[in-house]
Amino acid sequence: MDEGWWGGNFWAHASQLTPRRDPKFLGFQLPTTTTSITAFYHAKQRISIAIMAPTPGSRRTKSAGPPPPSHTLVVDNGAYTIKAGFSSPEIESPTPSIIPNCMARDREKKVYIGSQLSKCRDFGEVVFRRPVDKGYLVSWEAEKEIWEHEFFDQKAPLHCDPREVGLILTEAPNALPPLQANCDQIIFEEFGFPSYYRCPAPTLNAYNDIQSMFPIPPRVPLTPQLPAEILLLIDSGYSHTTITPLLQGRPLQSAIRRLDVGGKLMTNYLTRLLSIRQYDMRNDTYLVNEIKEACCYVSGDFKADMERTWKGPKGDRRLGYATAGGIAKDYILPDFHTRSKGYVRDHDPNAAGKLKNLTTGKSAEAAEDILTLRNERFAIPELLFSPSDIGLRQSGLPQLVMESLSALPFGLWPGFLANIIVVGGNANIEGYLYRLETEIRALAPAECIVRIGRPVDPIVSTWRGGATLAKDVDTLAKLSVTKQEYEEHGPVWVARRFGGKE
Amino acid sequence: MDFGVLEVANSKAPAAPGWAYVPDTGVNASVTALQPRKRARNQTGTPHDTTAKQDAKILRELAALDRENHKDVSIPVPIRHRDNAGRISHGKVTPGVRKILQSQKTFANHLVDYEALSALKPAATAAASSQPSSIPSTPTVRAAPATAAAPHLTSKGTRSHKKKDPNAVVASTPLRRVSTVSHATNTPQAIKADPDIPMLDAPITLCQGSSPDPAPHPGDKDPLLISRIPGMPSQEEIEKLLAAPPLSYTETTGSWTAEDRRKPVRQFCEVCGYWGRVRCMRYGA
Repeated sequence: MDEGWWGGNFWAHASQLTPRRDPKFLGFQLPTTTTSITAFYHAKQRISIAIMAPTPGSRRTKSAGPPPPSHTLVVDNGAYTIKAGFSSPEIESPTPSIIPNCMARDREKKVYIGSQLSKCRDFGEVVFRRPVDKGYLVSWEAEKEIWEHEFFDQKAPLHCDPREVGLILTEAPNALPPLQANCDQIIFEEFGFPSYYRCPAPTLNAYNDIQSMFPIPPRVPLTPQLPAEILLLIDSGYSHTTITPLLQGRPLQSAIRRLDVGGKLMTNYLTRLLSIRQYDMRNDTYLVNEIKEACCYVSGDFKADMERTWKGPKGDRRLGYATAGGIAKDYILPDFHTRSKGYVRDHDPNAAGKLKNLTTGKSAEAAEDILTLRNERFAIPELLFSPSDIGLRQSGLPQLVMESLSALPFGLWPGFLANIIVVGGNANIEGYLYRLETEIRALAPAECIVRIGRPVDPIVSTWRGGATLAKDVDTLAKLSVTKQEYEEHGPVWVARRFGGKE
Repeated sequence: MDFGVLEVANSKAPAAPGWAYVPDTGVNASVTALQPRKRARNQTGTPHDTTAKQDAKILRELAALDRENHKDVSIPVPIRHRDNAGRISHGKVTPGVRKILQSQKTFANHLVDYEALSALKPAATAAASSQPSSIPSTPTVRAAPATAAAPHLTSKGTRSHKKKDPNAVVASTPLRRVSTVSHATNTPQAIKADPDIPMLDAPITLCQGSSPDPAPHPGDKDPLLISRIPGMPSQEEIEKLLAAPPLSYTETTGSWTAEDRRKPVRQFCEVCGYWGRVRCMRYGA
């Protein structure tokens, strides 16, 4: 077990570093005395766990099946995008393609499938059909169409013959068994993959080098030990946010928790606010999603930001309201003629929007459509921390992290709290990590060190873990099920195996 | 002027237009909504007092926030030529696969089905518990959907992931009662019938870290500086945790902690987003 996972040793080193001045890292303020650190460190027992991987050779002693396929198609089948690509020991640095997991139709009734969406120039009134509902693959009719288009067609961008490649496919944790059974059946009976590993998406993240993801990396670069021994993974995606504690890459099922706030809910909430307050955007969710990604941030101090963006009561207008201390931003909407993408700039109270220009008689063509965002910028991601703002009867993410931990023995808490990784699209929201860390630290026992890290690209992190796993042919073979086994033992056996039961 | 109308005070507000005297039992929400400036004074009761009407509205709004598109749309899969012209054919479509492909169920449908079937489960287990293990020793039997309803589980919570058998997870642990998941040792009974299947629940060892201990410090023994570290859980405990069956979808839903329930729900003005009840004072109705 390497140093650093627990955090004690890590801080003994870190205290020799100069503390960073960046306010982002204030949450990481170091204890002031070295004495307390060393004493702290010494008092704790050197404890760590390692779970032995299945003994090598216990499998594959089996009857001569066909040799495992040389390439593996790694598919992280998210609700919003598919992250897919090939991996094998020969591929030096596998790279994923990010494919929209949807069928879309624009106002000219043209239908786009998956990656064709990038050819779409006019996103006004685009409607979507997504095969993944609430995070789970439900509509195989649509998914098959997208997969065919992306993988199996002659002209597919990631062309392959399903009968010649292995498959790693992710699913959201706690999927319904009937849906899992459907999935297995389609994979083997329709596509005919020779070997297949279905796993909850969070687990693959353990195959990344997580220690390098924390803001202050360890002083001595550690040789990453894969899968990571201990890791609390927060996966915040399009449909929901899940908290999964992982030991040696295996989930602790009894402690998995889900918050029903994801990118979709936040985009729809922003749509609603904008539609009430400014333009009717209800048919332009795609656009609103881009606005959200460009503008939203998690507030470090919600109340203060709220005061700053307040106009003030009638007759007593606040002076700084117009720019709200830099919070107010203008989003210039695309017109899909000269500008197909919108962009953000600081709010300029003098720049009048189209409406004002119209009333003052200037030409409408010269004007831009501007959306001014003030408290919308931080009230949207606030839902992750306070879902009850929209009446959702759940606690915020920090409370759910503690709820998840409370299902585990106390002895594991320090390890999990010191190794929290956030992945998924929402991890890109500015200020998310800082706020999460501050709040978890406030809830966690005072002795525990709380570290939260984020991979460089949180969207493809799961995929990268899968690609790393695919490079380790032996481990993958132990986890996978071959088509032959499926035919021999049947779907029940396969489901049990992926459930960790055999 | 009296037109001969007799005013009757009834206890219920009339549903039809018109008016009637009603007993004044407290702050009337409909009145306070009309007089927003008095709202702060009139506010009584706990912050979570919501009427059925408000609850329904919240649910409706949440459902709206969960939608994929603003309007109902259906985008059919384009019809393709199912011939071999430049397309890879994956062989013949089996009936099971065709059924899956043609299914128009949503996740909500699946969830309701699953929960309805799992509700039947306790009865099934009770029946099964009186018999010896009914798990087939050779798991090669293909699950036909027709047999799915048969009680197929042991009393030990052994899960049979039968296709179409959503009973499976119901034997799972209730929230936060990890210690009861003790059937890890019982489970492999049926599984061991197949000798060449490896046990993924391989032994777990506690090992020491590889890094050297830091140099001792004179302050180490200072009682004020000693921190108490909880002991690591034992091997069995960790094995138990790892062997725990997955919770069901509803069981993993994060709760609303008691502490958060006590806090008043924050309300924002719909128009400007500032603190407010329905609307802030500035935009009051």
